[in-house]
Amino acid sequence: MLHLLKIDLKKLTSYRTFWVICGLYFLTLGFTTASGMEILKWIASKGAEFGTSININRIPLYHFPDIWQNLIWISGLFKLILSVMVVISITNEYQYRTVRQNIIDGMSRWEFILSKILTNVLLSLMSVGMILLISIITGLIYTPEIEWTYFFTGMEFFLAYFLEVFAFLSYALMLGIFIQRSGLTIVLLMLSHMIEAIIKLNLFRESLNDSIGWMKQFFPLESITNLVPLPFARYAFQEIQDHVSLIAVGIAVVWTFLFNYFAYQKLKRSDI
Amino acid sequence: MMETVLSIHKLTKNFGKLCAVNNLDLEVKRGQVFGMLGPNGSGKTTTLGMLMGVVNPTSGSFSWFGEQPTNLTRKKIGAVLEHPIFYPYLSGQKNLELNALIKGANPNNIPKVLELVELASRKDDKYKTYSLGMKQRLAIASALVSDPIILILDEPTNGLDPMGIAEIREIIRKIATDGKTIILASHLLDEVQKVCTHFAVLRRGELMHCGPVDEVGKGEEIVEVQAYHDDLSILLKEFIGSASIKKENGIFQVMMKDNFHSQDLNRFLFDKGIVVTHLATKKKTLEKQFLEILADASSTALK
Ligand SMILES: Nc1ncnc2c1ncn2[C@@H]1O[C@H](COP(=O)(O)OP(=O)(O)O)[C@@H](O)[C@H]1O
Ligand SMILES: [Mg+2]
Repeated sequence: MLHLLKIDLKKLTSYRTFWVICGLYFLTLGFTTASGMEILKWIASKGAEFGTSININRIPLYHFPDIWQNLIWISGLFKLILSVMVVISITNEYQYRTVRQNIIDGMSRWEFILSKILTNVLLSLMSVGMILLISIITGLIYTPEIEWTYFFTGMEFFLAYFLEVFAFLSYALMLGIFIQRSGLTIVLLMLSHMIEAIIKLNLFRESLNDSIGWMKQFFPLESITNLVPLPFARYAFQEIQDHVSLIAVGIAVVWTFLFNYFAYQKLKRSDI
Repeated sequence: MMETVLSIHKLTKNFGKLCAVNNLDLEVKRGQVFGMLGPNGSGKTTTLGMLMGVVNPTSGSFSWFGEQPTNLTRKKIGAVLEHPIFYPYLSGQKNLELNALIKGANPNNIPKVLELVELASRKDDKYKTYSLGMKQRLAIASALVSDPIILILDEPTNGLDPMGIAEIREIIRKIATDGKTIILASHLLDEVQKVCTHFAVLRRGELMHCGPVDEVGKGEEIVEVQAYHDDLSILLKEFIGSASIKKENGIFQVMMKDNFHSQDLNRFLFDKGIVVTHLATKKKTLEKQFLEILADASSTALK
């Protein structure tokens, strides 16, 4: 397994585009999540100049345990950048035909896919690790009084976050293997949410709230989004879902499995 | 009996309606330099693609070293099909390291194979900056990096200038003297004739002929004779070993019957009191043989 990961990383680590995109991803991700409180303070100070005072301490964005879900939800928005890297990595193999030479050199088709999946796992773990670190540090800074019983509340969101990133990267990998051309794949990847929304709109047009509305959660991209629900409404005194739903996890796990399975079946059946 | 390294049984590949390879049966034995000869589109690359696991056969089977083929078998084979394939943004050295990693080969072989194909001085340049000849040579290096038992080369001199062609053929000959089994696909007759010990002829996916290269022209010897004698042509016709006679540029070309050779002709003339000034044995070229095989095949097909 490690051997396969090593092979895929060797292809990537001398590739400038890989460093550019990963650099962009981890920098923007890190910067955005780490600096939220400072931005909020800045907005508050501007507001004070105009006579409206916001008491930012009333909004416990960065307080344990709120911080987990808050930062993870924000982080989820950035996974699109990372998925572009996954698309480029796989479509390059088709464009240069190196997938053919890899197989000729003695990889099985399963090993080839697995090497890509393992890289996806690694990238997902790195995202989780980074956000975990940033949340702990900023949480310690901004939480006025740390109660250790709260500290671990809601940490299961990190599992959901891992699944969210990994599922989306699996989706990107599958798309790349089916389409094989980077430009088209990236466009389709970006439009995926919209396409799914249009399909849902047409299917459920007349029945928005009635008997079949519950089926929406089974759509692939929605299932990924549902892993970490939007938390910020709670600061407007609304009820939010502040835990990970097991049904959502189940659906997302099945889709993740299917994405990778379809990718493998496609590669297995095609002449390359 | 020599050990069989590759045995192909009724291998077939259809692309839609097109039958690219049709019921192919072949055997390659250890130490052979086996040429697959056929015009463009005759199914050579498709056959090799099936043997190397990148094209799924429609039907039929093959075995390497007498075993069912798996990806592990392929690690023991060095192969380049059709075009050199590498990561353009990686250097030659890095590309070979990657090949070695996939094949589970010792990376210490890399300097040796780079030396063999004379790319050592350019190894740190990116692959995309290489000339076509250098790309082809790097491809041969990558095929050799695992020190494979078998080497598969598909049109290795395609698109090269005469210098490049000569270099590649020299490399192939060097490898062959190492005792490696080589399978060489080519549409060039003289390439196969110059480097191969055995050959098969393919046409539209069908096997037309298979045999050793030096058997080509057996019993079809042509002897060139020149002598200062006015009645030479009459005498040559009297010789019981001559099948037919032609004169070209003042030199007689005698097509010999089976089991007659130049020394028989020489003795015959000497007994008649004629001393020749020129006597040379010519084997029929593979080209003639090749064209005959193809012509034969199409005429029998017409019947
Ligand atoms: N992937 C493919 N799809 C459709 N037809 C193909 C494909 N690959 C090869 N062919 C066809 O199969 C035939 C044999 O091709 P090929 O094996 O490349 O011949 P050769 O290597 O002897 O020149 C050709 O007619 C070619 O057009
Ligand atoms: Mg070919």
